Amino acid sequence: MVAPLSGLRVLELAGLAPSPFAGLILADFGADVVRVDRMQRFTTDELSRGKRSVCVNLKTKEGVATLLRLCEKADVLIEPFRPGVLESLGLGPSILHARNPRLVVARMTGFGQAGTYSQMAGHDINYLATSGVLSLLGRAGEPPLAPGNLLGDFAAGSLFCVVGILMALQQRQRTGKGDVVDAAIVDGATYLASFVLRALESGIWAPERGTNMLDGGAPFYDCYETKDGEYMSVGALESQFFARLLGGLGLTADDVGDQIDQSAWPEMREKFAAIFRSKTQAEWSGVFDGTDACVTAVVELPEAGRAPHGADRRLVVEAAAADGGDASLEAAPAPRFLGLGQDTRKGTGPSTPFRFDVRSRPSVGEHTVGVLKENGFTATEIAQLARANAVNGPGEGKSRL
Amino acid sequence: MAATRALAGLRVIEMAGLAPAPFAGMVLADFGAEVVRVDRPGIKNIDLLSRGKRSVALDIKAPGGADTLKALCRKADVILEPFRPGAMEKLGLGPAVLQAENPGLIYARLTGFGQTGKYARLAGHDINYMASSGVLSLLGEKGKKPAPPANLLGDFAAGSLTCLLGIQMALLERSRSGQGQVVDANMVDGLAYLASFVHTFSHIGLWDTEKRGENLLDGGAPFYDTYETADGRFMSVGAIEPHFFRNLLRGLDLDPAAVPSQNDLSDWPRMRTEFERAFRERSMKEWTEVFDNLDACVTPVVGLTETDKHPRPFLVRGPEGDLQPRPAPHLSRSSYFAKPDRRPIEGEHTRAVLKELASFSDAEVDALIERGVVVDGSVHRDGWNRNSFGQEVDKDSRC
Repeated sequence: MVAPLSGLRVLELAGLAPSPFAGLILADFGADVVRVDRMQRFTTDELSRGKRSVCVNLKTKEGVATLLRLCEKADVLIEPFRPGVLESLGLGPSILHARNPRLVVARMTGFGQAGTYSQMAGHDINYLATSGVLSLLGRAGEPPLAPGNLLGDFAAGSLFCVVGILMALQQRQRTGKGDVVDAAIVDGATYLASFVLRALESGIWAPERGTNMLDGGAPFYDCYETKDGEYMSVGALESQFFARLLGGLGLTADDVGDQIDQSAWPEMREKFAAIFRSKTQAEWSGVFDGTDACVTAVVELPEAGRAPHGADRRLVVEAAAADGGDASLEAAPAPRFLGLGQDTRKGTGPSTPFRFDVRSRPSVGEHTVGVLKENGFTATEIAQLARANAVNGPGEGKSRL
Repeated sequence: MAATRALAGLRVIEMAGLAPAPFAGMVLADFGAEVVRVDRPGIKNIDLLSRGKRSVALDIKAPGGADTLKALCRKADVILEPFRPGAMEKLGLGPAVLQAENPGLIYARLTGFGQTGKYARLAGHDINYMASSGVLSLLGEKGKKPAPPANLLGDFAAGSLTCLLGIQMALLERSRSGQGQVVDANMVDGLAYLASFVHTFSHIGLWDTEKRGENLLDGGAPFYDTYETADGRFMSVGAIEPHFFRNLLRGLDLDPAAVPSQNDLSDWPRMRTEFERAFRERSMKEWTEVFDNLDACVTPVVGLTETDKHPRPFLVRGPEGDLQPRPAPHLSRSSYFAKPDRRPIEGEHTRAVLKELASFSDAEVDALIERGVVVDGSVHRDGWNRNSFGQEVDKDSRC
């Protein structure tokens, strides 16, 4: 199958975490993603396989003019700056859309283009705090705990940014016009938590963190340490799964009381903890794999591509470095496309093999000349721009780190 | 307001399920798609995420039921199904059949473990998918067991959002090829992909994946954590960069000379103790006032239902008076609902949808009702249009 986004031209203005991951998703699915870097040797972006890199100095008139010219043929521009910075560079949407009315301008920020905090610096933890989502997360009686920077930066940020870009492209098919996508992590986070919001309002979710069924409150929805210091995850919500959980643990319903009797939970938790500590993780997998108890091993991230099921799915692959350096672990793009008419076969075999060609990461400025030429710049023009320090010159491909 | 809706004209059949599929359907509906949710007759749908959808109550296992669904899918753009792998095939409703009749159909399959693989037929929930993906091992406090962030990362981020990505990409590809796709959107794959950054950070030595809760971004660093205030609320601190760290100290009124160096890991416990002590001296409101004027990356931890009072109007009130989040992201040329639609009653639109989408006649619909294949939920014992809380609503309150 041809990659779904092949032919799509994306310019990604270099930034941290959320915007590079958005660019990576587009690149992984076939878009031509050009990362526009500053005039410097290094990049902080490691999420760059398959991208090309150009150095353009947006502090110069010539650099801005160059970028505008690149935008003429682009489909998408991703920018991660504080709101208003693009405008102050002479690259605001009004100017961009005057040049290319079909351009989708995706503005990837934490707090959004407008609002009390829109000019404030922040990080994932702050955006989650402002969205109301952070208050939900963590153990009962403990301070709120953000799940790394996965939920804010990458879920509420990058994923919603890409969803927005794709919807704007669909819209463009009907209207012929581009759009401005205000991809704000705070907005995405609150929206992502729609289910919890509804559950809070209807009273099935209590506002006290860590006391609910799905946030660590229930002993049958939690992790337990095994004899060898690893963990098993338990997600036995429904009564039939809970029954299988008890069976696997060698317990009867009488031993633990009613599943949904919250007063029985502390003792239930202690019993579960004690029993889980009596066997290793591998032994517990032997007990529960293939049963509908919703009990599975907690796998370490680098091992995910080697663990049962994870290996079948090829979650993580090891890729040799182009420059002979250390091999890196690369997570395979999701979702997987299976092909028209592809039924799921009986039984649990391994995944239908899918193609994941791990492409190399660009050096900073490696593709400046090539990209400019593609966009109609002559060799003379490129040399002039290099002299004016608006772009890096030919032969000045810089190191990655 | 004549603004377009990004997904206007898109026809989606959503097979009723829990959490992830309804949220994916809701996002599509919010951005203008026509989403028909197919409910099982007689089963109360606990879907809280159904604003703007229409509901058809159809028993696909009853004789004639599968054929009715096939008829609905012939004109649909997307079918979204959350069932265990192989379930649709058993009913003669798998991709081979539905896409033979409609080769442009996007067949989106949203599960936890995926269509194939050792655990593909197993029951599971968010916490299990998190565990198998390798992501759960990263999250939680130092020295304590892993803690998933409710069901937000698995069900909704890796599940619903990845599914939406797949649907959207397939639609774009279809506009060139004319052909649909089968999308295997599942939480295990999605979570592993979502954690791409962690692999790269780990590769350059900035995230030790074997040391949960001890890293820069997972609660290990005292300047990237939450702190309790005098009134039992919390402030979030994300002061990574040196100038933000300096402003943090300024805001806390701490002498930089007395505080350990920011990047001296061995001194982080002492730094944490200092911060804990300092934050406990004032209320959340007072700290907010201090830090709103300082670029320190310090903001209050707001309750989810408090966000309507906050800087951005994240929340609006629906027709039933309840708080609902606004869709994200915001597209400037496109509108989404001006006010959220109310949630449908199960089977409320059975007749209308069968007639519209599949050209059934009234007589044919009546016959299906009589045989118990479908239910017309718009006719209730207690009368019209009660919402899922049993309150009467204006029957024309869709916008």
